[in-house]
Amino acid sequence: MNLTRLAAVIAKEWAEITRDRLFLGLAFVVPPVLMLVFGLGMNLDVENIPFVIVDHDHTPQSREYAYRMIDSRYFDFKGYLNDEHQIPRLLSRGAVRAIVVIPDKFEEDLAAGHAVTVQTLMDGSFPLRANIARGYIGAINAYYTQELIAKRLTTAGFSQKQARQQMGNLRLEMRMLYNQSGKSIWSMAPKMVMMVLMMTPPLLTAVSLVREKERGSILNIYASTVTRGEFLLGKWLPYAGISMVNGVLLWALAVFYFQAPFKGSFGFYLLATFIYSFTTTGIGLLVSSFVKTQIAAVVMTMVVTLVPAILFSGMLFPLSSMGPQAQVIAYLAPAMHYARIIDGTFMKGVGLDKLWPSVLSLLLYAVVLFSLAYYFFTKRPQE
Amino acid sequence: MSGRFGEILQHMRVMTLKELLQFRRDVFLLIIVVYAFSADIYVAGSGIEMELKHAALTVADYDQSSASRDLIYSFREPQFKLQGMEMNADRAMDMLDSGKTMLYLEIPANFNKALLSGDPAQIQLLVDTSNSVLGSLATSYAAQIVAGYGVQRAMERLSVAGAMGGSMPMVNSAHRVWFNPNGLDRWFVPINEMLTMITMLSIMLPAAAMVREKERGTVEQLLVSPLTPLEIMLPKVFAMTMVILLGVTVTVYGVLGPIFHIPFRGNVFLFYTLTAIYVFSTAGFGLAISTVVNNLAQVGLMVIMLLSPMLMLSGTFVPPEAMPTVLGYLMLLSPLHHFIEIVMGILLKGVGLDVLWPSVLGMFLLGGAVFGFGTWRFRRQFG
Amino acid sequence: MDETPVVRIRGLVKNYKDVHAVRGIDLDIPKGSLFGLIGSDGAGKSSTMKTVAGVMSYDAGSVNVFGNLIDSESAAERIKLRLGFMPQGLGQNLYPDLSIEENINFFARLRLVKSEDLGERKEKLLRMTRLDKFRDRAMKNLSGGMKQKLGLVCTLIHEPELVILDEPTTGVDPVSRRDFWAILAELLAEKGITALVSTAYMDEASRFHSAALMHHGRILATGEIESLLRMAPGTVASVAAQPQLEALKRLRGRFEQVVALGNYLRVFVPEQTADAEHVVRDVLKGLDVTEVQTDTPELEDVYVSLLELNGEGQAVRELPSPPEGTVIHLDPNAPVIEAVNLVRDFGAFRAVDHVSFEVRPGEIFGLLGANGAGKTTVIKMLTGILRPSEGAGSVAGADMRHSGSTIKKRIGYMSQAFSLYLDLSVVENIRLYAGIYAVPQREIEPRLRWIVDLAGLEGMENALTGSLPMGLRQRLALGCALVHRPPILFLDEPTSGVDPMGRREFWDVLFRLSRQEGVGLLVTTHYMVEAEYCDRIALMHAGKVVAYDSPAGLKADVEKRFGQLLEIRCENPYRAQSVLRDHGFEDATLFGRRVQVLARDAEAVKNDVRKVLDAAKISVQSIGRLPLTMENVFVQNVLDLEHKAGLAA
Repeated sequence: MNLTRLAAVIAKEWAEITRDRLFLGLAFVVPPVLMLVFGLGMNLDVENIPFVIVDHDHTPQSREYAYRMIDSRYFDFKGYLNDEHQIPRLLSRGAVRAIVVIPDKFEEDLAAGHAVTVQTLMDGSFPLRANIARGYIGAINAYYTQELIAKRLTTAGFSQKQARQQMGNLRLEMRMLYNQSGKSIWSMAPKMVMMVLMMTPPLLTAVSLVREKERGSILNIYASTVTRGEFLLGKWLPYAGISMVNGVLLWALAVFYFQAPFKGSFGFYLLATFIYSFTTTGIGLLVSSFVKTQIAAVVMTMVVTLVPAILFSGMLFPLSSMGPQAQVIAYLAPAMHYARIIDGTFMKGVGLDKLWPSVLSLLLYAVVLFSLAYYFFTKRPQE
Repeated sequence: MSGRFGEILQHMRVMTLKELLQFRRDVFLLIIVVYAFSADIYVAGSGIEMELKHAALTVADYDQSSASRDLIYSFREPQFKLQGMEMNADRAMDMLDSGKTMLYLEIPANFNKALLSGDPAQIQLLVDTSNSVLGSLATSYAAQIVAGYGVQRAMERLSVAGAMGGSMPMVNSAHRVWFNPNGLDRWFVPINEMLTMITMLSIMLPAAAMVREKERGTVEQLLVSPLTPLEIMLPKVFAMTMVILLGVTVTVYGVLGPIFHIPFRGNVFLFYTLTAIYVFSTAGFGLAISTVVNNLAQVGLMVIMLLSPMLMLSGTFVPPEAMPTVLGYLMLLSPLHHFIEIVMGILLKGVGLDVLWPSVLGMFLLGGAVFGFGTWRFRRQFG
Repeated sequence: MDETPVVRIRGLVKNYKDVHAVRGIDLDIPKGSLFGLIGSDGAGKSSTMKTVAGVMSYDAGSVNVFGNLIDSESAAERIKLRLGFMPQGLGQNLYPDLSIEENINFFARLRLVKSEDLGERKEKLLRMTRLDKFRDRAMKNLSGGMKQKLGLVCTLIHEPELVILDEPTTGVDPVSRRDFWAILAELLAEKGITALVSTAYMDEASRFHSAALMHHGRILATGEIESLLRMAPGTVASVAAQPQLEALKRLRGRFEQVVALGNYLRVFVPEQTADAEHVVRDVLKGLDVTEVQTDTPELEDVYVSLLELNGEGQAVRELPSPPEGTVIHLDPNAPVIEAVNLVRDFGAFRAVDHVSFEVRPGEIFGLLGANGAGKTTVIKMLTGILRPSEGAGSVAGADMRHSGSTIKKRIGYMSQAFSLYLDLSVVENIRLYAGIYAVPQREIEPRLRWIVDLAGLEGMENALTGSLPMGLRQRLALGCALVHRPPILFLDEPTSGVDPMGRREFWDVLFRLSRQEGVGLLVTTHYMVEAEYCDRIALMHAGKVVAYDSPAGLKADVEKRFGQLLEIRCENPYRAQSVLRDHGFEDATLFGRRVQVLARDAEAVKNDVRKVLDAAKISVQSIGRLPLTMENVFVQNVLDLEHKAGLAA
């Protein structure tokens, strides 16, 4: 390893990056912009579900029941609906996502001690939201039932205390750890760092090397005494560096703009991001060591980086819900490991002591990627 | 005049045929398109669900009564999975920190006694909400389960006691989920993936076809020929629309139907017509791109940069009501957003133009604007 | 000279999948020589050079460089510090966003050149190449000639013992080319460097000491240039005779190599000089023979003769007569192109400055000029793509200022890239252009047959165009440009990348098109040799037409203004060149082992040259007269203008 030659390759690479508008943009402008767009757009909070109520009963009790729904922060009341024939139309247009139908004789049946069924019609086009809404409605109904029974018991002559005794007085204290407000942006913003760092740095690395192959300037490298290792490292370092800078930039966006809590140690975050940067750009390096055209490099890199990052990192789709095959893919992709680290440092405030397996996996990745790239790259190719 | 018209027709015919022939011989693009409309949809649709499944639950049961056991067992598969007991709170915290468990349920020693005496029986559930989606799902289900447990307990005892005279007022929940009755991500995700692929290819294929002419220098020849810029441009869009519609057919009848059992409830003709219009108008982006880039790799990079925000703003992951207000309005400017409403409407909801006209109108206006923009850029460069 | 050659190649074979690029060649390159690999695209030059440079593996045979067998990556590493390699393509190996100085520094640091050496060498090389004024300019903003000079500097910065330059002059205008060769010769002579240089220009052969003629992966001949020229003994006769087509037919019946160069027919007579004129006149008995000139053959004649000896020559084809049908009729007496004071401005920059010329039906008209001279802009205006800022003109009988669409329907156009869709088959390409040019449906089939016939593609109708050799592609492109039988054809550098044999055949077709069918042809080319094929020429420089005449007229003009061309054979020609330059012969130019000067008074100059060289103790073998070439015409005109512009400024 000759440092002069390594420095020459790095300096040349850096000069080219800073002078190519497309590269410079991809390197420093696109990542924060993506972060902002994703951060603002990827709101997964299930709140304010637009819904309407069809009240066939029109009694004080039905109205009282309705208020349980209307008051909930999870639902956004859009009004009473009189004409049930409107239902298909409203749902299909996506104007409301749920319709609660309070049946005829709601008050009367409850007073008579009968069970009443409140039907909820839901738009299943967004399954996640439908499922969460279903849970909330179930809980609202259950608590309402408890109250009804308690009230009934008191009217039947039991004392408050006796009623409670008969009813049971079960209280659930829910403590949301790490993200008390349950704001999706708090948990999404850090993972955006993971995704954005997976998007542009590997692409840049791959394109920069293949561009030299396409243009023919790679022949300078072939024809000189610069070693494989020096050249590949010289290509790797600038882009890993860019990725590092972005790692800090995006961290600042997550913490200061999106106000995501950061409980861990910044030093550990830097270390992990450093290794992750080498891993992501290493993917680009490996791809570029055996493809010949830029477009092939772009597509290949996209397929091996973005798809796992979006689908298999646990960012959107939980790991535990995946099938066995998908889990294997997830464990094989570096994105998942970094996602864990990100979760740990931002939300949980844990460090190397708990996250060392993930850090080690990333490190292993970087080493394997570089070794493979070294193996595939040749200075005296077939053509 | 008919002579001129005949000439235009002849130009269109030979140029469209040329594009189709060239596409058929471009192995690289062919592989991408085939992959995009088959394997990609399959991978996206299988194994990945935005659902709470097998969420690890660790319990500290200080009561060890049948009541506490009943409560624990009501946290059932598939949503929850009982992982074991852990009475040591510190170790439990560790498990939460390192992601080994997602929920930690604490049942106090006096649980059964309190339930019987009517004193408040407080149970505590710690939920890892660092992934806010999973967190929301878990809290919603847990609330429903605990409330349901309370009602069930009350009913058992009351009926044993005969306190209510056999009658019990209660509100049951009945859910009817429309369009996707089982709330299946298996329906939602692959359809979305198909729409993403349609959008990506509508931009990429015409841009690639145009850039290929630039790269190989054939565009020069076309410009000195009697072809007008529109006659150069439109056949590319026509040909690629045909290719994409063919791909859509493969997806709908080869993947969505047979593999994921997604119904096709609406009008086939309407679906194809509107898809064609969408593809055609979105191609405007591709044409605009082709005026600023010089090679296929740059097309790839531009497509990634353009597509990510488009997807974010499309409502694919997040419906408009969950967006910040400004972005909610911005979404109305995304042609993909309207197209999603249209496709979901036709495929799952089986509705027609009478319901979809606002989306169709939106898509028409935006698509027209996009196509107009692309045409304008194209004519400015090549006219 | 050292005994062991710097490069020794034995039985080298290189295949790319099923393409056989090099088919077993032997080659020795002696130390200190300027060795040329001459051949067209696909001859195997680049593959050979890459294997020598150790940047590509080969399939069989052996390559020894500095006595090391290059058979693995590590073996190749050992020689790389001692050699410099400049790959093909105009500045392709340089970094476009880096400045001249940054490019040089990168190459130097990659080679671990010590900084004290670097500073000195860099200054010297920059001064020699006259790039020192532009050291901070980004490489992408350099002209083609400057890029190549920078490439040379970067290749030489670590003072290698062997330099390998792959087509360093392709796409560079003649003036810069001449400059490039002069610098190279100077550097080689100074440092005793061995150079392996390839070229596709046959007329550059005289630049080398020795050369190998390559064709289809084989070496046709190798040796010193003089001995190569002796391989095909004979005489070249240039004949002006009327009627020309009949003369051509008769000569073709008698001789293998006959080409039409404007009003002349050039015949290679493989016999003694004394007989040549006689034999030719004999063949043409009864025709009106106005002139017969005899000269010594050039390397291209040798090349073609050798091909014919190897059985690779191709029979001359008659032009098939076109089918009946819709043809665009124009007034046969009016010019097909008429440009009057055309001006085109791009912002403050005047790309074309009052250009006037006309092209008559049945005429081959050449538009010559360096990159950036304004040729392309003129063609864009004439083909209706670009509107002129000022001036007027008509093309195919339509006013070019507002009948762009009419013009487009009436002209044929064939570009440098041949503009074929390589992923379409032969017939698919023809049908496409038939559709674009609105050929009536029932006429498509006969025209398709005609084009297939014209291009010699029988039996290959369904082959993918990309699988055809360049020569066939070129003729198919010509056929496609003729599908609507236009009265005027634009040809933009139509022969780049085609071997000499293919080029000759192509020009033969063009000649017949002009003479038999009366098609007017406007051709641009950067092969100066090809300018000889034109009836008349407009030479462009800096947006203006600076010379406008027939090739013979242009040569006569140069001879009148600058004198005759003399060739001096002497020992130590490099020193002879510099001695002559020091004694007032500023245009003395080194060509291989000979020096050329221009002389107004030939006899007086001969005496002066002898005197000067005798005084410098350089023995002169001979001083002879050479015919002026179109390259001389181009270079002299441009240098003269630049000189005047320099004086004015």
